Formats: sequence, C-alpha cells, structure tokens
Amino acid sequence: MPAPYLALGLAGPHLIELTGNPDLLARWDALPIAFTVLGIDRIDGHDPAPLTLDSSAVGASLAGRTSRARFLIVASPQRDHPYNLARRVASLGHLSRGRSGVLFGVADTYAAPGPDGTGAWGGAGLGVGAPLTAATALDTARAARALEQSWPYDSIIGDRDTGILVQSDQIVHIDHDGAYRIAGPLNAPEPATGASLIAWYATTPDDDVAADSEPVDLVVGAGGSIAVAPLGLRPPDSDADGVLLRPTLDQGLDEVLTEVERLLADGFTPVPPGGSLRAALGLTAPARPASGRAAFPAPEPQPSL
Amino acid sequence: MTDRRTGHVILGINVLVLGYLPAAWQSPLLKKDSFIDPDYWAGIGRTAERGTLDAIFLADGPVLGDPAYDANPIRLEPTVNWGYVAAATERVGLVSTASTTFNDPFELAERLLSWDTLSGGRAGWNIVTTRGAEAARNFGLADVPLRDDRYERAAEFVDVVTALWDSAATGQDVHHHGDFFDIDGRLRVPPSVQGRPVLLQAGGSPKGRALAGRAAEGVFAAELTKEKAIEHYRLVKRLARDHGRSPDDVKILPGLLLSLGSTEEEAKRRSDELHDAGPAAYSIQWLSQSIGYDASKLELDEPFPEEVLAAPADPQTFLGSMGFRESIVTQIRRTNPTVREYLKQTRYTGSGHAGFVGTPEQLADHIEDWFHSGAIDGFNLQPDLLADGLEVIADELVPILRKRGLYRHEYETSTLRGHFRASSPTPDLG
Repeated sequence: MPAPYLALGLAGPHLIELTGNPDLLARWDALPIAFTVLGIDRIDGHDPAPLTLDSSAVGASLAGRTSRARFLIVASPQRDHPYNLARRVASLGHLSRGRSGVLFGVADTYAAPGPDGTGAWGGAGLGVGAPLTAATALDTARAARALEQSWPYDSIIGDRDTGILVQSDQIVHIDHDGAYRIAGPLNAPEPATGASLIAWYATTPDDDVAADSEPVDLVVGAGGSIAVAPLGLRPPDSDADGVLLRPTLDQGLDEVLTEVERLLADGFTPVPPGGSLRAALGLTAPARPASGRAAFPAPEPQPSL
Repeated sequence: MTDRRTGHVILGINVLVLGYLPAAWQSPLLKKDSFIDPDYWAGIGRTAERGTLDAIFLADGPVLGDPAYDANPIRLEPTVNWGYVAAATERVGLVSTASTTFNDPFELAERLLSWDTLSGGRAGWNIVTTRGAEAARNFGLADVPLRDDRYERAAEFVDVVTALWDSAATGQDVHHHGDFFDIDGRLRVPPSVQGRPVLLQAGGSPKGRALAGRAAEGVFAAELTKEKAIEHYRLVKRLARDHGRSPDDVKILPGLLLSLGSTEEEAKRRSDELHDAGPAAYSIQWLSQSIGYDASKLELDEPFPEEVLAAPADPQTFLGSMGFRESIVTQIRRTNPTVREYLKQTRYTGSGHAGFVGTPEQLADHIEDWFHSGAIDGFNLQPDLLADGLEVIADELVPILRKRGLYRHEYETSTLRGHFRASSPTPDLG
C-alpha cells in the first residue's frame, strides 16, 4: 500500500499571511501536496481566530496569483445559499482551471448568530431556515452539485453560421426540493474539467454522512479517506489515502511550510503541483443525471430586424 | 453651459461580458468560451489599466436568461471574477453588483470586505434589489417582493453591511435588530487600504435615488438626454447635501453604449454589422421589458400608440427600470418614429442607456460637453464588443482626453475611493 499523500488545512491567520507574503505564496504554490483547505477553522469546531478572510475571496485571489497549487474553499449553509455558493464554486472552477473544490461543514464559527432557531440561511430574512444540521449541509452540497451540472460545458458550440452560441435546450432546471427549493439552472456552465470536487468534513465516525454519500467525493476527518493530524506531531500510521495537516494558530506559515517540506522528504507520497484537483486525486468527473426539464427551447437560426 | 470645470472626468467600463450587442461572441477575436476563460478576463483588467481607467464594472443577477444567441446572460460570480482580475492588475477599480434581496448581509459584508482587502482597496459594491420571478424561484420564493418592500429591505441591508464593515475596524460587536435582519456579532476581516468598499447604486426610481443620496458614493445612471441628465445630476447631489454630505461624495456616472470607428461611417458600419448579426427578437423583447408592454403586438411600421406611451406601468409590479422607461418615452415623443424606425434608431442613439456611434474624437467632444454642462462626473462606457472596443478606449480616446486636460496621464491614486475623490469637484448646484 502506497504511503499517504499530504494535504494542508489553514486557519484564518494563515490565510492572511499566505495572501500577504509573496515569498511564502511562491513556496506554497510549489508544494507537492494534494490540496490546501482555505479556512478549515470555520467548520472544524474551533473558536474563531482574531482574524480571517472569506474563503471564496481568498480562492479567487489565489486562482490569479498562483498557477499550480490546488485548494478547497470552505462552505457551510449557516449564512449562505446553495445558489450563491454554487456560483462561486463554479466560477472558481473556471478561473483556477479546475484547481479548486469545496469542503462542506455544518456551521461557520465566524458567522454571527441570529435569533434562536434562525437555522440555515434564516439570517437572510426571506423566511424560516432549515435546521442547521449535517442533513441540511449535505442538501446544500447536493443542490450545489446539481446546479453546477445543470449547464453542460459541451453545449457551448459558438456556431457563427447559424448564429447559435449555446445549444441551450441542453440546459436543465434542477427543480431541487429538499432543505431548499431551487428551480435552477445555474447562470454559468460547468467547468471544462467537470463539476467541482465536493469534500465533507466529518466530526465523528458515525457522522450522518457516510463516505459514499452522493455527491461527496472525499471525506476529511473521522472515518474518512483523509485523516486529520496536528502539524508538528508525528502523523499516526493509518490506512488513509491522505493526511491533512492542521497547524495551530501559534504556528506561523513559514513554520508550517517548513514542516510540510520536511514531511514530504520523509516518505509521504508527493502529488506533483499543477493540473486539476480531480486529476491529482485520480477522481473522474461525476456522472450527470440522466434527465431534467429543459430550461430553454431548442435554438433555431433567427432573422435580423 | 455652466462655468468650465477643473479636474478630470471618471471613466468606467461596464463589462457586459463580451460587449453589449448580442452578436459580440461572433468576433474572430474571441474563442467560443471566452466568457469563462481566465485569460479573457485578465486581459480586460490589464487593458483597462493600460488606459489608467478608474473602474471596471460587472452587472449581475442570480438567474440565467437564454444564452442561445448572446453571452450577456452568462455570469461568473462578480466578487470571484473581479477577485481573480484583481490579482492580474494593480490600480484599476473593480465594481461588483450584488443583490440586497438574495443575499445574507453578514455573508456578503464579510466577502466584500475580504475582496476589498485582498485587492488593495480597489473594490466597489453596486447595490441592486433584483427584479423578476425567475430569480426568486432560485431562492424558494414564488416572486420577488414588491418594489417598495425591496427598497426598504435594501436600505436596512446597506446599514447592516456598513455597520459590520465598521466592526472590522473597531472590534466592537454590532447589535442590530430591525424589520428584516437580526445580527449580534462582528467581522474579523482586516479593514482594507481604503477602509471599506465603495458603495454604488444603479437605478432611477425615487427610492433608488433616495438611497443614492443617503449612502452611495457613485451612481450608475441611465440618461438619454443632456437636459434630463443635468436635472437628475442636481437632484441626487442635492439629496446628498440634504443628508449632510458633500455633493462631491457622490459621483454621477451614466452608462453610454458605444460603437467606435476611425470615421463616423466606419463606426455606423460596425454597429450595423454587429446588429444585423444578432436576432431581431432581442430588440423587441428588450423594448417589451423596458416599457412594460408586449412590443411583439405592435405594428413594426406604425408609430407607437399613445396609450402605450401614456399608460404608466404599475410601478409595484413593473419589472423594468423606471429610469429607463422615462428615458425611452421622452425620446419617442420627441421624434414620433415607427416601431421599426425606433428600434433601428436606437442602434445609434442608445436604448435605455444613451448610445454613441462615432470616432474617439467625437466621443471626447461628447464627454467634454456633458462634463462642462454639469450633467455628469464621468461615464460608464459600454462598448459593443470589448475585445477591440476597450483597446480603442485605452489607446485612442484616453490620449485625446489627456491632451484636453480632462484625464490623468498616470494613476495618481491607488484605491477606488481615491480615484473618485481625485476627480473633478461638483459644479455650483445653484
């Protein structure tokens, strides 16, 4: 059995160091690790750190400032909506050329609480939210995946002879009816590299979400294919595919990168930087649902005025 | 004409994906998927920066219109898209549209301030309330709230967001308990170089203008005539003054649809070719939405019936922009064209937003005239096709404006708010 690969889970203050220091950024971009989670402390049960940055905003900046490192943004349904989230996830998929994905957790430690019982998305003031549970977070992931797949990339034909840009009858409503009701489709196509990777942060081995729960590609934490280990201690021997290193707030980014570089020289399986996240992990793009209600009529050549 | 103003105009670009005309995607300069290509978007930012432009702007809505013939309905999420472009640029301002109806104010405040911080203080938020049942159905609602309710929510939403931005600087919790939102907490995002994002407002309804006068630092206006533009310019500046602000604190930037050529004939030919390559149904559909009447029922070769112009659309349920409708009706009444004539005429004169077809020299004349007349602080330029239209703005229009003393030669400020504040002061409002 091959040695596990490495991944990294950065907390708020690490994100500020990473985006504010070009030397550290270049070192990070060159690391042969599978991926980095941008702001894992939002969802892994810690108290909020003094400083952080929004995860998708960091992802957007890193997509432009780096060319090889792969990353997961962090999402929770507490103050986010699947439609808004799916837009950011798909947009990052395009702009990072498939280097990005999303890690779901149940609640966001940085989110201000609303009144009791506000639940998921309840703070938006558009009605009562669903309960803030693993089931709701998983439904958010399902809706985000369905939205990302609602518009197939191959429908973009750009046919100058007929004047048809998109074979838009291939775009479907998702008619999602779970913790949320969402008609769809998404307003951007699926990334050329396929729907973004969805990871799940498991807090207990008997977490509601099993490793094979659709649409989760990857489970991080208890019972998952990626074990979580504190940075600095010897990672435990395990049969996991990968080990996600979780530094504390006391460990600055320079120390974090140095320790990752040392562990890579110490027998962990390197994952060459560059290329899409799915390709790096050997995961194929998920299958598209067989049917869906067409969102638009079949396009025909149109007369001009 | 008022006294000639000192200082320079503001130049923004409304990046309507590939360009405002539906057939823009057919340009040989573009790939079939340029609208999602990172190189395309980075190129837009770099070209704008080459022209030392003040800002690039993205419209937005959480819904998909049919993209069969047109890339305009396709939208990467603006904070992510401009967050990416910020990494490829250093000075140009970046404005993202985001809805106050379909966001949570805490999440949006945190995301906008993070993007502002990461971009070095170049971010702006264009505040919109979002229209249309189709967007609502992506959020579990049958329809959007009525216009008045949307604007009441928008006003409270903006107050919550700005209070949260302040909390990032002070470290003090916000305790907000209003009609729409309840929040106890604070942001832990570092304040940006410019403190917090610049607020912009689009739309010409009375409540929209009231919001602009109270809170906005920039207004994306829709103006077809200089007279109306002067009237609205003074109205919003006076509203700002009534709220204890300086008229200079809110910059007025109408949209201007552009087709540019090295001669006027060449510009018209370019515009005609791009229009003729796109479907007629688009013009008719646009007109229907804009005036609140099904224009496919109108005779193309007859003038507009009076009841279509006179009948005020129900402002509570009308899906179009009130400002656009007012501009269009004023324009039709002036020349009484047939429907087909009007639709073709709008190719050169604009549709909702004013249009301009001509040379960069003529465009500089137009900007200079409106600027010195006290109708604008600048324009939000909307090229027919950005792939080459933006280069003409950066490499031909801007040098002409510089020679006339109407534009800076190099960036002199580094934040979006800095760019706005460095522009010409407001002329005497009388």
